[in-house]
Amino acid sequence: MHFPLWLLFALITLLFWGTTGVTQKLSTNAISTELSFLWFVLAFIPIALAILLIVPLDWHLKTRVFWLAVIGGALNGLGAMTSFKALESGGKASIVIPLCYLYPLVTIFLALVFLHEKVTRVEVLGIALALAAAILLSREAPPEEPTDK
Amino acid sequence: MSTTSLPPRVDATKKRVPSWLIYSLLTIALWGIWGATSKAVASDINAYMNQVLFTIGLIPLLFLVIRSPRLAGGKNRRRGIFYAFITGILGGAGNILFFTSLTMGGRAAVVVPMTSLSPLATVILAFLVLREKISASQIVGLGLAFVAIYLLSL
Repeated sequence: MHFPLWLLFALITLLFWGTTGVTQKLSTNAISTELSFLWFVLAFIPIALAILLIVPLDWHLKTRVFWLAVIGGALNGLGAMTSFKALESGGKASIVIPLCYLYPLVTIFLALVFLHEKVTRVEVLGIALALAAAILLSREAPPEEPTDK
Repeated sequence: MSTTSLPPRVDATKKRVPSWLIYSLLTIALWGIWGATSKAVASDINAYMNQVLFTIGLIPLLFLVIRSPRLAGGKNRRRGIFYAFITGILGGAGNILFFTSLTMGGRAAVVVPMTSLSPLATVILAFLVLREKISASQIVGLGLAFVAIYLLSL
């Protein structure tokens, strides 16, 4: 049997990204969003430094590309901060994280309006399901649940 | 968004929209815009350069929290900081593994939808580790969300 290496890497990626939702919650259970976010950001620095040391990079970039990538990092970081805040405010990881991952809804909308991209049929179905999912996910569990175990 | 069905001002003492939901919707908006910016540069830079520039964009955000009084205190600082740091490492390492998978022969049409389902791992771990309980309608919502996330990543 042959298990391709790329598949292994993709599965580890899924596991790593998926685990962050739980470690975020474990973090905000213990400390504030602000302190969590501070250390979350600091963790990216050694990774970037490792890349700079190991991988030869071509810095001849278009100014527009440079700034879009940097602004992208800032936007993603702000989103990380608000997701920490959602978890600190009592949101459950099993609800908040899947809900936040519906973000392509906004991306597709922006691509439609600003980049004049066409929306495919699959995307239309995805958007409809995403909206229904968001409404259902935002319904909180009743505060008192019978625990008979 | 239409607000006609809601009262013009929500009383703080009996607010209808929980704050976790507001912050989650803000996250959707911010990540949604990030999605558009990364789409716009995807063909111009490689993954490693993107990760470095991403980090350059993250660092100024430290100024938003560096003077916060909430940096002090916390129920268990050592534990909280550990998990926050691990979150960043797993996130960043995940980015690199994702791109490595693509360069090792994984087709984007397979790798992208597959890895987009990472919240599935979150849900399973949240049940196992955090013992989270959710309502019946939220379980249906999760099912729909995973189909939606998959379809929107295609």
